[in-house]
Formats: sequence, C-alpha cells, structure tokens
Amino acid sequence: MLVCSVGDEEACVHIDHRTALKKFELFGVLEQICERLEPSETQSERAKSCYEAVGQWISNAGNDWLRSSSIYLQGSTALGTTVKPIGRNEYDVDLVCFLSSLGRWLHPAKCKQLVGDRLKEHQYYRAILEEKPRCWRLNYANEFHLDITPSIPNMVCTNGGELVPDKSLQCWKPTNPKGYRNAFQRRAELVPRMRMTKSMTMDSVRADADIEPYPEKPRFRGVLCRIVQIAKRHRDTYFLWRDESLLPISVIVTTLASWSYEYCVNSFVYDSELDVLCDVIRHMPDFIEQHEVNGRFEWFIRNETTEGENFAERWNSEPARANAFFEWHNAAVADLDRLARSEGLDGLSKSLTAAFGQKPASEVLENIFTNVGSARRTGGLSLAPLVGLTVAPTARATLVRHNTFYGAP
Amino acid sequence: MRFDRPKSLTMAQQFLNLRTNPISAGGGRLRGNTLSWGFSVSPTLLSRIYSARIECRQGLSPQVFIDGPDLLMISGGRRLPHVYEQSPVRLCLFHPDFGEFGSWMRLDQTIVPWTATWLLYFEEWLTSNEWAGGGLHPRLHDQGQRRSYSRSLSSRVAR
Repeated sequence: MLVCSVGDEEACVHIDHRTALKKFELFGVLEQICERLEPSETQSERAKSCYEAVGQWISNAGNDWLRSSSIYLQGSTALGTTVKPIGRNEYDVDLVCFLSSLGRWLHPAKCKQLVGDRLKEHQYYRAILEEKPRCWRLNYANEFHLDITPSIPNMVCTNGGELVPDKSLQCWKPTNPKGYRNAFQRRAELVPRMRMTKSMTMDSVRADADIEPYPEKPRFRGVLCRIVQIAKRHRDTYFLWRDESLLPISVIVTTLASWSYEYCVNSFVYDSELDVLCDVIRHMPDFIEQHEVNGRFEWFIRNETTEGENFAERWNSEPARANAFFEWHNAAVADLDRLARSEGLDGLSKSLTAAFGQKPASEVLENIFTNVGSARRTGGLSLAPLVGLTVAPTARATLVRHNTFYGAP
Repeated sequence: MRFDRPKSLTMAQQFLNLRTNPISAGGGRLRGNTLSWGFSVSPTLLSRIYSARIECRQGLSPQVFIDGPDLLMISGGRRLPHVYEQSPVRLCLFHPDFGEFGSWMRLDQTIVPWTATWLLYFEEWLTSNEWAGGGLHPRLHDQGQRRSYSRSLSSRVAR
C-alpha cells in the first residue's frame, strides 16, 4: 500500500499566500464597484466642455467684475472621488466661479445675483437654471448638475483662501477649495508600505516556472481615492432606508478619511490594500475634535487650509447629525470586517449587497461568472494552483476539458 | 485485443499523476487496484476551500465526494443539484454516454478541474437558486429506476 500526504509547512505557506491573494482580489472587487459608480469618460468630457463654456460665458460679460472671473472644479470631481448617487442619473459637478476683483465690501446676495443674472442672459442656461441657497445649478437632465458657487478672495488668508456666501446670504464664509485639493492630493500620493508575506519571499527565490498567475489589475487611482469612494457609497447605501437629511456630508467623510490615511500609512505596515482600507475607516473618528465653547462641548473638523471653516459646524446645532455619523461609521467598520471575512462567492454576494446595494454586488458577481462561463465554452479555462479557475493559464495550470454535469436535478 | 482505444491507465499511474499535479495537491492511498485521493480545491480566490475526495477502482467510474465543509448545511437544507447522493455528497461531473471520461484519461486532468467548476456553479446556485453550469438530468420515473440508474452509473465507464 502506498500512502502520501502533503507536508504541514507547505500547507501553511499555501494558506498564507492564498490569504494575501484573496485580499488582493477582494480589493479588486471593490475597485470594480467604484469604477462602475464613476461617471464615464464621455460623461466627464462632456461635463468639462459644458463648464468651460459656462465659464467663458460668465467672463465674456460686459461687467468688469465678471470679466475678471474664472471657473474651476471643486469637491469630488476635482479630487477624483465621485460616486454616482443611488436612484438618480445625474451626478453633481461642483464649481467655483472666482471673482478676483471683488471683496468683502460687496454683499454676498448681490454677488450671487451678479452671477445668476449673467446666466439668465443665456437662453439655454435660463431654461435649465435652478437657484439653490448658496449656488446656481444648471441641470443637464440625465447627465449631471453644474453647481456654481461664486467666491471672492479672502485677503486675511495667507494660504490663498477664498470667501463664499453663507446659506443665509448675509455674510461671507472662509473656504479654500484649491488649498483643500492640494492637501488631499498630497496625501493621495502617499503609498502604503506593504509587508512581504512569508510565502511571497519564498516565491521570489523560487524558479520562474513556479510563479502563479497573479490576478493583475491596473490600479488607476490611488488607494485614498478608492477608500473615499467606498466610504461614500457605503454611506449612501446605509442612509437609503434612514433619515437622508442626516447623511454625513461628503467633505466630512473625505477629510477624515484623508487624515486617517496619512496617519495609517505613516504609522503602520500592511499586508494588503484591503487591510489599509479597513484600518483607515476604523481610525476616521480619531480626528474629530471636541472643545469647550461657552460652557458646552462642540465638534470640530477644521478645514486645515484656511482659518474659520468647521466642516462639523452643523453637528453643534443639530446633534442628531453627529449621532448619525457615528452610527454610520460603526456600521461601515462592521460591514467591511464582514466583507473581509466572507466565505464563498455566495457569502461575498451577501456582504457586498449589505454594504453597497444589490446592483453593484450582482454586477460584480455576474462578471466573474460570465468570464468563467464563456472561457469554459470556448475551451480557454484552466485550473491553477492557489488561484483556481482562470483564463490566464501558466505552466502549472491544467486546462478544463469539456464536460456535461449529469445527475438528479 | 482492441487497438481502437488508448490503453487504460492503472490506478498506480492515476495515483502518481494526482500526486504530481499541483492542482490536486493532497494525500491519499493506493491499495491494489483501488485508489483514494483527498485534495483541497477552491474554484476562485473568493470561494471557500473545499475538501474533495476521489474514490476509484480499476474499470469503474470514479466517484467524487465533498467531505467538507458540509454542503447541505451551507445550502440551508435545499436539495443540491447535480449530485448522485445528497449525503455524503457525491458529484455528477460528466455524462457517461458522451465519451467525456474514459479509463485512459487522467483523473487530475478531468475529474479535478470538473470538481472546481462544479463548486463554482454550486456557489452561484447558493445565491441565485439556479444552476448556471448547464448539464443534463436523467429521467427518473420511480424509485426502482432511480436505484438502478445509480447502480448503472457507478459501474459504467468506457473501457
């Protein structure tokens, strides 16, 4: 009788390497979800040509104040963190119309009126124009909204900041979209340090013939942009069946995620991007400040690029907003943890649905099954050690021959 | 002597092939003309790791069992599709009349990859309740026929 079994050490290395590959694959799935939630290239280009035309229209006015204006992107479109909203086709493109020759002496309502009046002079813009409390919105149906907020220079800000009308249009509020974007981009360029797993080190010494097909996918965006997109999509899904008026605003999610990302990347070494994601989300609340102001504690998430802007301002007048943030955050940590530990494609489908909604979950899963199914039909499917069924065979893979599943239904 | 078909592989040859192919890495036992081979298989990196076992006797059709995790438990009591037996779970991987498997074919190049594809469609079935892997169902009119069908499958293999 001949008996044979696999060595314990080899089995451990196998599992170690597989865990690393699985996490890589899982982050790839999340990236696919993000890609599907982004505006298409055509949409982005169309939005760009639309806002450039609007900018030109405003600056071609007879008014000297408007002639000195320039239009630029702010918010998620500028940062590369856009996720399309659930249940409507249009996504927001946030723009600043910077009026460089104006100052605090002009009343905010008058400034907003100036831009609005110019837009109304254009026949098409007049038809799609909508007034919002602080900005003007141009509705390009089924595509996007252009939200145009007027701004003026902030002479007291040493960081090139600007002033925008507050919601009541009674006073000017400090902000700094360009500074914010630069600070975000600086953090987004940080690259997490990855630990070489034991098995990968072993592999590097192994011969080429032993290399497994690695599920290589191009990473178009930095990890931070993806983390912000994942967090925002989770938030949108979470608040779909809750009080949407309490939904934490994007700038809070983005700011906390970027601070947490910088802290995590500078402090720790990770096994995978998935671990970075979970850790960054977990540490987000660490960067919320509470200070005593006039005898009571107030929340602060400061705009670090200009004096006097607190992103958490409304948490202090409406504490339910702070509670909603923390409830959502707890759910996000738990859901990502569940996702990382999910078992099987069925388990993955369940946890993706819970975290990001039915549609993106089923699209991603369908993609996997369609790829395998069509490769199986055309004879291009292989089974490789560690990675399983693959359309990218290597020397160690075995082709999957044609078969007909038989037996009782 | 027949020359129109390749020569059957011995169980010792099958055993050696299973042992050397990295996709069926595992352990087993060869006793005379009977082999038993257990291996871990996972259809994708995002799938579970399953313990599969091939039982084969020279001249008979190989039988494939899933020893763990418990598929019936995972399925929440739903009847598993494309199996000969629900417990212990024995997979239906090929049609005995279509020449998809013969005794001259290597188990590691047929049964093992088919086990992986079966498990992929199983995990999809768990979510969708539909078997997307295609295949055929034998017509069963009564229990008597069901028994004889099961017997005939375990004995039929192209020789």
